[in-house]
Amino acid sequence: MEIAYFLGCIMNNRYPGVEKATRKLFEALDIKLTDMEGASCCPAPGVFGSFDEETWATIAARNLTIAEDMGADIMTECNGCFGSLFECNHMLKENDEKREKVNANLAEIGREFKGTTNVKHFAQILRDDVGFEKLASLIEKPLDLNVAVHYGCHFLKPTDEIGIEDQAENPSILDDLVEITGAKSVDYKDKMMCCGAGGGLRARDLDVTTSFTKEKLDHMTEAGVDAIVNVCPFCHMQFDQGQTEVNERYGTDFALPVFHLAQLYGLAMGLSAEELTFDAQKIDATPAIKKALGE
Amino acid sequence: MRIQGVFSMSIINRLKSLFKGDNEVTDINTDVSNTSNDVKVASSKNIKVTISDEEKEVSITKQETVTESGDRNVDLTFKKDIKPIEDETVEDTVQDSSEEIVEEVEVVEETEAPVEAEEIVEETETVEEDEDAPEEDVEEVEEKTNNKERDKMTLLTDKELLNDSNRDPDFTAEFIDAGIETVKHCFQCGTCSGSCPSGRRTPYKVRQIVRKCLLGLKEEVITDDALWMCTTCYTCQERCLRSVKIVEIIKKARNIAAHAGYMAKPHKMTGVYVINTGHAVPINDAAKALRAKIGLSELPPTTHSYPEALEEVQKLCKLTAFDELIGYDEATGGLKE
Repeated sequence: MEIAYFLGCIMNNRYPGVEKATRKLFEALDIKLTDMEGASCCPAPGVFGSFDEETWATIAARNLTIAEDMGADIMTECNGCFGSLFECNHMLKENDEKREKVNANLAEIGREFKGTTNVKHFAQILRDDVGFEKLASLIEKPLDLNVAVHYGCHFLKPTDEIGIEDQAENPSILDDLVEITGAKSVDYKDKMMCCGAGGGLRARDLDVTTSFTKEKLDHMTEAGVDAIVNVCPFCHMQFDQGQTEVNERYGTDFALPVFHLAQLYGLAMGLSAEELTFDAQKIDATPAIKKALGE
Repeated sequence: MRIQGVFSMSIINRLKSLFKGDNEVTDINTDVSNTSNDVKVASSKNIKVTISDEEKEVSITKQETVTESGDRNVDLTFKKDIKPIEDETVEDTVQDSSEEIVEEVEVVEETEAPVEAEEIVEETETVEEDEDAPEEDVEEVEEKTNNKERDKMTLLTDKELLNDSNRDPDFTAEFIDAGIETVKHCFQCGTCSGSCPSGRRTPYKVRQIVRKCLLGLKEEVITDDALWMCTTCYTCQERCLRSVKIVEIIKKARNIAAHAGYMAKPHKMTGVYVINTGHAVPINDAAKALRAKIGLSELPPTTHSYPEALEEVQKLCKLTAFDELIGYDEATGGLKE
């Protein structure tokens, strides 16, 4: 099995430990991740999608053509990238008029959208293509950790298009994947609520964005978790960097370390905190990692 | 008949609120002050015309209830035309209101002391109630509608009432043309606003924006900063009883706003980063060092490593005039101005 690995922006340019963990994980799973050479930003749905649909679809379609040329399906581990690429792929496959418009643009750079690739989310591949059993066999030492799972928005929704088997308002895919590592997914109030970063809000209005994040952090803290687990580097950034912004604005002292699901698997597979670049994150993950490893 | 007084007032308030876009109708109990032995009934001819058989029955039932409480003199006035409201909406509103009224009956009856009614109209007509034939009574009321009284209902003298001149049908058509036909399916239940995490902390009212998009109130929609308070979390769309593509509507409205010049500078700057580097969040020295330290290539295999790939992205942004849209200055690699 070969997968076209779409990196996006935030993961590889800010939290490379997520990329490292993913490459190690797929190596262990014997699935070849092939780089999509020359891929760009997905592009960011909050700005490109909100400013000009045609530009958004054209740049997203260019990324899709790279995978089409490779003859592989795409994997992304960012909900924003997943939202943009999946939605664009879906739209251009369904809508002839929009596809013609986009292809007229792509023709100018010698590319054509053919509709021959599928866009998949990292967590979707782990559950549906790899399977829980095989994942469980990779776990060296079960993690002792209580976590708040944050699903993020552009993962299961909009359900009428995405088609990942689950219930968007009461899902289980991430909780199941988390619990394979030995960690426990703890329920908390308004679990499905947005982190506040999306739709261009983080760039435009940090006050509103942090107000979302504080509400989430309040509820996670009340549930008594050791860490947050997400599947989106933008949510990841919002809970990590954003948590310090919440603390500055509200005078709070939240200290919930943030794990991308790939990092959680990396830890369970024996990668060091340094390899997972936890040392570069704003919120100190050391206590949670020590607890997780029983140190 | 007192009940119908409240009934009608409630409709008018709701219609008004639709025009004004208020989220909530003002407390219906305030309408009770209009109810006394001399009830001023305000009704709408338009509503009567579009009312369905089912709703007529509701209306009649109410009259019967009133009849039990004794004969009353009733003042009736009719206001004829409320154009911008579509028939479907009016019917919905009538249904809503009639349900409410059943609950309000008790409240009204408790108002024993003679309450001074506010004068709603100057000229009124008295209708004798007929206990035996309430249905005919309704017809009689309709027959006695007097055109000259149509403009005298105080609630509709609001100077800010919207009419066709406020509407831009082309604006609504843009949503339909973009394939978001479901904008027409919205019946304003408010499930979207009730689900919206942004609406809990910002002036963003998603139900209202959908309504305004359908009515064609372009300027109101695109000039409002609140349009940009949506995180596109899809909760509204997932819960929408009518399967309206709400997030698509918001994004389309933002596209129209952006093309009319309503763009925040930080958003434009995100566009600048993509044009300059291919990435909204480009690599920096710290990330390069971090990547190298853990055994990844210093530069990821993206546009960062392939200049010709970046040129493709830049060419596409020119082809779609995205560079012009955000005011990109090729000479400086920043924004113009």
